[in-house]
Amino acid sequence: MSKSVLITRPNHDLTTTYLSAWARKIAEIAQEKGFFIYDLEGVRANVKTFLSFLKEKSPSFLFLNGHGSPSEICGQRNEVIMDSTTEIPGAIIYARSCSAGIRLGEEAIKNGARAFIGYARNFIVGYSPDKVFEPLTDDMASLFLDPSNLVASVIIKGHSAAEANTRSKEAMYKNFRKMILSTATYEERYASQWLWSNLKGQILLGDPDAKI
Amino acid sequence: MTTLEKQITKEIEDNAELREQLKKLVLARTQAMPNSLGIVIGSDKITREEMVQHVQQEDEIGKQIMELQLEFLRDLATGAIYTNE
Repeated sequence: MSKSVLITRPNHDLTTTYLSAWARKIAEIAQEKGFFIYDLEGVRANVKTFLSFLKEKSPSFLFLNGHGSPSEICGQRNEVIMDSTTEIPGAIIYARSCSAGIRLGEEAIKNGARAFIGYARNFIVGYSPDKVFEPLTDDMASLFLDPSNLVASVIIKGHSAAEANTRSKEAMYKNFRKMILSTATYEERYASQWLWSNLKGQILLGDPDAKI
Repeated sequence: MTTLEKQITKEIEDNAELREQLKKLVLARTQAMPNSLGIVIGSDKITREEMVQHVQQEDEIGKQIMELQLEFLRDLATGAIYTNE
């Protein structure tokens, strides 16, 4: 298996635009580390391209961004790119998608994935409405998305799935504690309950010691 | 979910009056959301007014908004948010 990363980055609505912007940071880290990167951005995040890369390149890490449900993960325009029939032998998966941890994660492990990190409920992002055209300058969204990016960056740096999950949750909790302080803005205090929900919903399935 | 959380959840499910009171609490908290804050939950970007509607209708998103707010309040009350348990 090649030391490579496959990233899906649909960008057809506000949610996916934010996820895509933050996922690009991971592509840059992976590039610095010398990984082969298969970056499926926008219309390239379609089922045909996704399955073709899985089959021909066998990426060791899949970082999936997009809408999801207990049974599937979507690409551009919500085309289903991964479901219970998708075989992903030997890869570690991080699905930054809603609810895929409820059922699809277990199915991915049965289909050969070594580890799956995802969410057993809807993934929530708080954002600043005046920053939507420049997502990476949105400090509110960064409270949610920087800790989730840690899952991917820790795995890319060669650490285990368990460590990636733990360090991400620790970063979420650190942000959460900052958001409930009296020094936080009203918006941060209000949004803290959403980050708490993400923290409680993030799960790890499969082999906790899996590394790429 | 801990045993205590399961007990509380069951109590809420079984007690219509308590559920209605909690719904009022969640509605009041939702109406306090500032306009300068946005939320995307699932595949939807929703406004404060839409959140209120979801909660009033108790649809899928409304139920999730209620559950996460009640979970947060419960974890606040038990001290879980201070220990990350």
